[in-house]
Amino acid sequence: MIQVQGLSKSFRKVKAVQNVSFSAPDGQITGLLGPNGAGKSTTLRMLYTLLKPESGSAQVDGFDIRESPLEVQCRIGVLADARGLYPRLSSRENIRYYGRLHGLEGEGLERQIDSLLTLLDMQSIADRRTEGFSTGEKLKVAIARSLVHNPKNVLLDEPTNGLDVMSTRAMRQFILRLREEGKCVLFTSHIMQEVAALCDQIVIISHGEVSAHGSPNDLRKQTGQDNLEDAFVTVIGSEEGLER
Amino acid sequence: MKKILVIFQKEMVDNFRDYRSWITGLFWALFGPLLLGGLIMLIGNTVRDTLEESLHLPVSGVENAPSLIAFLEQQDVVIEAAPEDPESAVIAGDINVALIIPPKYSEDFSTGKTAKLQLVFDSTRQSAIADINRVQDLLEGYSRYIGLLRLSLRGVSPEVIRVVQVEELDTATPQSQALIFISMLPYFIIFAIFNGASPVITDATAGERERGSLEPLLINPLPRGWVAIGKMLSAIPFATFNLLITLTGFAAIFRLLPVEDLLGIQIGFDFSTLMAIFLICLPIVFLACAIQTLIASFTKTTKEASTYLPFIGLIPSLPGLALAFLPVKPALWTMLIPTFGQQILINQFLRFEPISSMNIVISSVLTIFLSLVFTYIAIKLYEGERIITG
Repeated sequence: MIQVQGLSKSFRKVKAVQNVSFSAPDGQITGLLGPNGAGKSTTLRMLYTLLKPESGSAQVDGFDIRESPLEVQCRIGVLADARGLYPRLSSRENIRYYGRLHGLEGEGLERQIDSLLTLLDMQSIADRRTEGFSTGEKLKVAIARSLVHNPKNVLLDEPTNGLDVMSTRAMRQFILRLREEGKCVLFTSHIMQEVAALCDQIVIISHGEVSAHGSPNDLRKQTGQDNLEDAFVTVIGSEEGLER
Repeated sequence: MKKILVIFQKEMVDNFRDYRSWITGLFWALFGPLLLGGLIMLIGNTVRDTLEESLHLPVSGVENAPSLIAFLEQQDVVIEAAPEDPESAVIAGDINVALIIPPKYSEDFSTGKTAKLQLVFDSTRQSAIADINRVQDLLEGYSRYIGLLRLSLRGVSPEVIRVVQVEELDTATPQSQALIFISMLPYFIIFAIFNGASPVITDATAGERERGSLEPLLINPLPRGWVAIGKMLSAIPFATFNLLITLTGFAAIFRLLPVEDLLGIQIGFDFSTLMAIFLICLPIVFLACAIQTLIASFTKTTKEASTYLPFIGLIPSLPGLALAFLPVKPALWTMLIPTFGQQILINQFLRFEPISSMNIVISSVLTIFLSLVFTYIAIKLYEGERIITG
């Protein structure tokens, strides 16, 4: 469960995020939709405690991101925009490192790693060094390591970026599966169709502000458009961010 | 705190597998001993050649001064025929020095006038200086010898022209002559420590940022400062290893090379001296890791980091180089400057001088204190947002 109230952040003179509020409940997929540079990643970065908000607050399972960042970090699994791996470590070692940083160890950790390797269908690359992995393979390792502590809340920044059609499909399946497990899934995307296909709730962000918020049906009603794509264009007032 | 160990272990494995980086660091550890060994061989050979071999002196006009020639030959000089144009031969470097005896010499000599000789040489040529000095001394000696003979013949005591007699008392022992070599040691030791740590640190800080793995790493539930500490600590074994290799290298050079034969001096470099130097240098290992972690954390790419770090290593090692030529007494103020104090202490150990344990304590404590300050700044840097946004 993620609650956000009036979050703001600027970099020097640029107001990246202004007064953003929404909530992402457990067992639902919430999508942050918006054109490039709208402030989606900055919002997410504040939620996963990397950046400190200037004003406003946010809670993950009731823990404030500013007051108890360590508690928040224990409860979130994050696929950040930067998803670099350690090329000289194998997939398993990359995942194990994060597990140990979460305080896991021993057989429990190894079992968890094995089940993630199976779940993401990556046994064949488990013990290879990640140097030279394809984008899809790297993404699998990055996801596995961010879920190694079995977090209740999952934050994904542009999870399908750079993936081919098959990998994108697999990724969407995976996100749906996380919902089935009752997790709170929050992801950003600038791809309309993806958000439409997956989300229970959509938060549209443009120019750092929330311009619409609700289920796909709500958004269609609010804008008086039959088609979600048209609704999106109406909300943000331009056609930027429409792809595929 | 256990998570610092997790960071440390991961960095150790990662860095150890990056064998190219630490082998480059290792090269710098061997650089000092090899260079110094080479220098000793080279200079040793030159010294020995010029002392042991007889001097070959090209002379033109041999027939004009038979008594001078006989004198020179008695002094183990091999007289050779000078080339046509002695001056250009010296300029070209074919010969070091040439003696020209003009035809008028013979006449002036027999009538008791000052007879002129010409010595051709290039005083800026280092390798020729031994030969030049030897010929000048010999000619001076001959002049004095004949002069004394002439005075005696005229019934004048030779003491008349000898107003003062200088007795030289050179307090330099053979060992202190070797110190010009030994004084360069601290320079190489400190350089090796810094260069052992820098490739490892570059990869763990700037490399982490360049790969895009820093952001996900910092989302893990541990204080960010611990990440900085773990990374800094993981460089310490590599820097210590480099220190050990360098010291072993120097010990091997002084053991294997016949230093006594080459330089005519003895150098003491036994196990207890090695141990003492190793212990004195440990605070420098800490300092090298702390300051380089801090600097490299500011940089955005490994390329940028590897532009700065060699300078960081060079600055503290430079005073050591200066020490070789400008000896400084181990006064208290020198101990207050981290790395400089240790360099003086290393020199003292090699000279077998009495060492004040107070000086060791002061320099160690100050170096460790400064390292802690750098570590603290690095922790603050990791806690801020700049580490992410650049």
